[in-house]
Order: sequence, then C-alpha cells, then structure tokens
Amino acid sequence: MTDTTTQLESISEKLGITEPWVETGGAHWLAPGTKSVREITKVMNEVHARFITITAFQLPAGEGFRLDYHWDLDGQLLGVSFQLAANSLESIFDICEAADWIEREVHEGFGTEFVGREYEPLELRQGDTSGVNLREVKQ
Amino acid sequence: MSYKIPMGPFHPGLEEPYKLDMICNGETVQDVKLHVGFNFRGIEHLAETRNYIQVIALMERVCGICSNVHTFTLCRAMEELTGLTPPPRAQYIRVIVAELERLHSHILWAGVAAKLMGFKTMFMTSFEIREKIMEVLQAISGNRVNYAMNRIGGVNRDIEDPQAVLKMVEALELEMAHTVIPIFTTSSTAASRCAGVGVLTKEKAISCAVVGPVARASGLPQDTRRSAPYAAYGELEFDVPVQTGGDVRARLLVRALEIMESCKIIRQALTKLPPGEIHTPGERFVFTTGTAAKRIEGPRGEVLYSVSWKAGSKNPARIHVRTPTFAIMPSVRWMMQGARLADAPLIQASIDPCYSCTDR
Repeated sequence: MTDTTTQLESISEKLGITEPWVETGGAHWLAPGTKSVREITKVMNEVHARFITITAFQLPAGEGFRLDYHWDLDGQLLGVSFQLAANSLESIFDICEAADWIEREVHEGFGTEFVGREYEPLELRQGDTSGVNLREVKQ
Repeated sequence: MSYKIPMGPFHPGLEEPYKLDMICNGETVQDVKLHVGFNFRGIEHLAETRNYIQVIALMERVCGICSNVHTFTLCRAMEELTGLTPPPRAQYIRVIVAELERLHSHILWAGVAAKLMGFKTMFMTSFEIREKIMEVLQAISGNRVNYAMNRIGGVNRDIEDPQAVLKMVEALELEMAHTVIPIFTTSSTAASRCAGVGVLTKEKAISCAVVGPVARASGLPQDTRRSAPYAAYGELEFDVPVQTGGDVRARLLVRALEIMESCKIIRQALTKLPPGEIHTPGERFVFTTGTAAKRIEGPRGEVLYSVSWKAGSKNPARIHVRTPTFAIMPSVRWMMQGARLADAPLIQASIDPCYSCTDR
C-alpha cells in the first residue's frame, strides 16, 4: 500500500466515508455523501492538507451549481465536489482562513451564499447585485 | 489617535492598481484592508467563448510577466482531457522556458525591490540583466513577453542550437553570480532595509495557505516541482531554497537562491535535451467530458487551472484559474501589522504581487 493510498484512506476513515477515492483529471476525488463541507474541512485541517481553491460551475438549466474544493496533501491534489440546488453552502472561512477571498469571489461571480459569513460591499460595482460576472444572464 | 491612510489604487509606490486602507497610529500601521478588482477583465468568462486554439492565446494574456505559466498549466489540463502526452523533447523545452521565465520574473522583482529600498544602482543593474534574459527568450521563441511556446501536446518552437542558448545562460549566470546575488545576500543596504520587516510567521503562512517564495521564506518547503513533479522536473536535480525568517530579507534570499537553482535546471535541461519531436504527431484529438485540474510552480508560486470540457465542444465549459498572488495577497495584512508606514510599499512588493493575475 502506497503512502498516498494510506493518507487518503485515513481521511476517509476519519470522515466515516466508505466510498473509495477516485483518481481522475489529475486529482483524487472523494464523494462527500452526507458529510458537510465543514466536516471535511476539519479533517483536512487535521491531516495538514493545504487549502487551494474553490471552483464554481453553473450546471445546465435548473440543475443549480457545483462547487469543487481543492486541497494539497504532500503533493497530491485532492478534490471534493458539492452540488448545490439552492446555490448556498456553509462557509468554511472561520475554520479555514485561506478560503476567505475565494468564497468572496465565488459569491460575487456566481451569487453563491456562503452561510455564516459576511461580505464587504463590492468595490467597483457598489450597490450592484452579486452574481452577474460569470452567471449566465437571461435577457 | 489612529487615522486612516489610503494608498492606491493608483500610487507611485504600487506597480499595479490596488488599494490599501491603512489604519495607523503615528507612523505605525495597526491594520490594513486590501482591495483588489481594479484589473478585472472577465477572462474566465471570455475563455468560455474561445475555442481550444484561441483560449491558449487568451490565457497567455492573464499576466504580462508569467505569461508562459498560464499556457503551460492550461495545456497540461487540456492534455489530460485529450489523453495527449507531449514528447520528451517538448517536456524539456517547457522546463527551459519556464525556468527562463522564473529568472526574468525574479530579476524584475529584484529591480523593483531595489528601487523601493532606495537602491537605484541595483535597480538599473537588475533591469539590464533582465533585458538579457528576455533576449534569450526571444532567441528561443521569437517573443519577449508572450512567448506562445505551448500548444496541446507539446511546444510550438524547437531549441535548434542548445549550445548557443547554453552559452547565453552561462554568461547570464556569471553576471548574476557577480552582481545581484552577492549584493542582495551580503550588502548592508539590503540587510538593513529588509531584515525584520514585514514578518509572516510560519503559523500564519500555514493558516493563510500561502505559496511559492513567500511560503518558502516562512519556513515551508513546498514546491510543486518537487512535491508533484511535472514535465521533465523529475529527471533534473535542484534544491528548494527555504529560509525561516519570514521577513522581506528572507523573501529576498529565497528568490536570490532560486535564481541560481533555475540556472542549474536550465543548464541540465539544455545538456540533456533529448532528440525527437516537439509535439505529438498529427493534428487529431478529441476532448472527453470532464474536469481536469493541473498545477505548476510559477515564479510567484503554485498556479492551478481547473478546466472543464464537454465532448464535442470546441470551447471549454469552464476555466478557473487560482493564481499565486490570489493565495498570498490576504497575508499582507499580517505582514503589515506593526510595520512602519514607510515600509508599506516594500512589504507589499516583497510578495512579488501580480494584480493582473489576481483579478483576471
């Protein structure tokens, strides 16, 4: 068993997730099941994984949004995907300081609500609504 | 009594537009609020309107200094989605160009930092050397800023005479070893202006998840070239310089030592450059549906591209870029707390910020 496998299994075990990690597209992916993003972040902090970013996707009509969270663990790129029906998810900012700016960027670009945090007003479009930079705007 | 001093978004002490709102008590900075977004060009959105050829040229323009980093990472992600593997010669050429870009970026930064230290002679010397590095890049690619070297499955241009490039690099290495490196590592001007200034502790560096030379100057030995080797890095020997001071001087030392390591890498790569094709033969490839995430170690630190594609489409469905400055910039708040107001420009410059990259 390689070190990588051991490390990944240790994360799954701590989370109580039995689904195996899947390596695809240059990253190891874990299906979160019923685990929340905060539970996963806490375990990532425990194993000293380095937070990298969140990538937001607008899914085809009516399917909502998807957020891909990325961490680095000793050179391995880890990914956990969350599908959002209501375009809101718990914020991890208070337990992962590094997520501050990217949560704000996703909020401004996609209108995603990260529950449990506040945002500063938009600098360049003061008074404007968030979520118009990258979201498909129906005329 | 505390008072607020705004700096920017357009200010002689800043290289690019961004804004610092500094809360000061006398000459001491108590806290800072950072504002970015003045360079927002909507590039991630534009990328969705470009095909797989056009998108490479577009993403090369995310940054005017580390342009190659962006196409390199993007092409790696697109290669993951198409199943193409660049031939060995292309992998070596990618490393050579990436390291030349690191040299040019670090020397440019050295010049900017020297200017902010009040060390104008060093500024002129650094920019003279930078010109020579750009000449090497021009000799290889035909371009000085946007090199247009990367394509899906390899590179666009060969290094036909590696020995000639090697001679240019060796001359550069000698010049840097006699000027920039000793001055930045031993001069009392640099030491007195930078030591103990803008400290980012190791704990805070971990908490903020900073990357690149800033992380390495705070005692974190992280470097994607070493931890997740790509292209030809796994076949080349190099050290990852780490300092523990966490101050501007430590960042200066890390970059100075990295200049020498980059020269070492370029020399090895040019000597070992394998024969063969510079890109995958044939022009036919097919994108599969899915997302690929790839990283490389740019001059300022780790760059990540998350690229999504739908099979049958010529355009990407989504491209997200996490640039190093985006990861590092929030930590400036902690570097500034307790600093002298006069040191603010040097501290912000010490992270080698790129707001074009940050804002995209």
